[in-house]
Amino acid sequence: MKTIFSTSRTSSAATAAQPGKNAMTEEIAPADTTSAPPRLDVSHLAKTYGMGDKARTVIEDLTFTVDAGEVVCIVGPSGVGKTTLLKCLAGLHPSSSGRAAIDGRTISGPPPEMALVFQDYNRSLMPWLTVRKNLMLPLRHLHLSAAELKERCDDALAAVGLSHAEHQYPWQLSGGMQQRVAIARALAYRPEILIMDEPFASVDAQTRFDLEDLCLKIRRDFNMTILVVTHDIDEAVYLADRVVVLGSKPARVLRIVDVDLPAPRDQITTRSLPEFARQRTDVLSLIKRPA
Amino acid sequence: MKIQPKTLLTSAAGFLVAVAAWQLVATGPMAGGPLPTVTSVAVNLAAVVVTEAFWTSLATTVGIALLGLLTSAVAGIALGILVGSFEPFRYATVAVLEFLKPIPPIVILPLVVLVLGPTGQMSWFLVFLGCLLPIIMQTVDGVHDADPVARDTARSYGLKEPEILLRVVLPSAMPFIGTAIRVAAPGALIITVVAGLLGGGPGLGQSIYQAQAGGDYPTLYALVIVLGVLGMFFQGATSAVERRMLHWHESFREAAHR
Repeated sequence: MKTIFSTSRTSSAATAAQPGKNAMTEEIAPADTTSAPPRLDVSHLAKTYGMGDKARTVIEDLTFTVDAGEVVCIVGPSGVGKTTLLKCLAGLHPSSSGRAAIDGRTISGPPPEMALVFQDYNRSLMPWLTVRKNLMLPLRHLHLSAAELKERCDDALAAVGLSHAEHQYPWQLSGGMQQRVAIARALAYRPEILIMDEPFASVDAQTRFDLEDLCLKIRRDFNMTILVVTHDIDEAVYLADRVVVLGSKPARVLRIVDVDLPAPRDQITTRSLPEFARQRTDVLSLIKRPA
Repeated sequence: MKIQPKTLLTSAAGFLVAVAAWQLVATGPMAGGPLPTVTSVAVNLAAVVVTEAFWTSLATTVGIALLGLLTSAVAGIALGILVGSFEPFRYATVAVLEFLKPIPPIVILPLVVLVLGPTGQMSWFLVFLGCLLPIIMQTVDGVHDADPVARDTARSYGLKEPEILLRVVLPSAMPFIGTAIRVAAPGALIITVVAGLLGGGPGLGQSIYQAQAGGDYPTLYALVIVLGVLGMFFQGATSAVERRMLHWHESFREAAHR
C-alpha cells in the first residue's frame, strides 16, 4: 500500500495537480530560507463575520504550525470556531486577517494537495452515487487515465477495508462504513494533507476506536500530514503528536501540548499508560479552567 | 410495488359500479338525450380504433404532449438552475415568473393561434409554456434545497462552479424536478387536447371537435374514453421513470432496493 500511494504522487497525480496549484495559491518568497517552511503555517489568522456593529469575531488570532508527517489535533470547547478555522484552511472561506499557508504559499482557494473529511458523512457523500462513484467524483476534473482512476479507487477502498461495498450506495451502509467511504474518497484524491472536522463524532464508541486506528494507519502507510478537529480530549491525545488547545470566545490558542506517547499506539495499552492520563489531564484542565 | 389481489378486486368493483351507473342514467332518466349508452359507446369505440385516422390522431396527440413536456423540462431545468443559483437572475425574473404563474396557458391560446395558426406548432408551444413555469419553480426550490455540506465537499476537492452545478446541485434538485414533471405530464396531455378542441390543432382534440360538430355523440364519448386511458398511461409512465431515476432517494429506496 505504501509504495502505491507514494509513487503515483510523482507521476500523473503531481502533473495533474500542478496547474491548479498555481492558480489557487500565490507564491510568496519565504523570508527565512535557512530552514524548510512547515507544511501548514497558520499565523495571526482571524475571521470576523459581518461588518460594523453586527461584526462577530469568531477567530481572534491563531498561530500554529503543522510539520510534514505530523498528526495535529485541535481541541476546544464546542462553538469555539473550529469549523470556521478548517474552512479557512481548506480555502472555502477567506480569512479576515493574518494568513494560512501551505509550504509557504498563502491559501486563497481550495489547495489541490489538501483533502477535507466532514463530520456529516451522510451530507457529504452523494446519495445518488455508488461508493465507487463517490470516490470518483473529485477525480473527474484531474483527467486521469482510466487505469489510474481504477487503481486509485481500488487502493483507497482497500485501505479502509471496503472493497466489497464499492457498488453499494452510501445509505445502504452503517454510519462507520459511510465515514470510511468519506475517508476513502479523500485518500483516492491522494492529498498530502488530510483535514478532518470532528470525523468520528457521529459514530458509536467501538467504531470510533476503529476509525482512530484507521487514521493512524493512514499516516503511517501514506506518510500523510493530518489535522483533526475534535472535542474529544482522549481522542486528541491518542491520535496527536501535538494538541492545539483553543480557548473561546473568540478563538485563540491557549497552549500547544506535545504528546510524547510511544508509537505504535494501541487503543488498550496506550490508553492505559500513566503518561496518557497525565497528558489528557493537562489538556482537560486547560479547557476547563475559566479563561 | 406489488398490488394485492384484494386491492385489485376492489378497484375493479368500483370501476364496474361507475360503468353501471352511467348505463342506468343513459337508459333511464336521460334516455334519448345527448348522453349515449355504454354499449353504443363501446360499439363506436371498437369501430373507431380500427381506423388509420384514429391512430394518426392518437400518435399526433401523444407526440405533441411528449415533445412539449420534454422541451419544457430541458428549458425549465436549465432556467431553474440559473435562477436558483445566481442572485441577479433571480431578481431579474422573480416579477415575471410570479406574474405568469397563475395565468393558465389556455388564456393565450387565441393569441398563439393568431400567430402560428391551427397547427401542431401552436399546440406544442402551449404545452411548452404551460409546463415550463411549474418546472422552473420546482427546479429553483430544488437548487435551494441542495445541501451546503455537499457543495462545500465538492468545492474543497477543487471542483469548479459549472461542475458543481451539474454533478451536485442538479442531482440534489432531481426529486423536486421529478415531482414537477410527474405533475405536469397529465397537464401536457390536457393542453394538447384543448389546443385541438379550441384552437384547431391536430390530434384527438380535433377529432373530438369534429365528432361534436357532427352530432356523433357515441364517437365523441369513445374518444373521451381513449383520452382517459391515455392519461392513465401517461401518469403511469412518468411515475415509472421517476421511480427509476430517483431510486436512490428516501421516498423510493424501499421499492427499488428491497
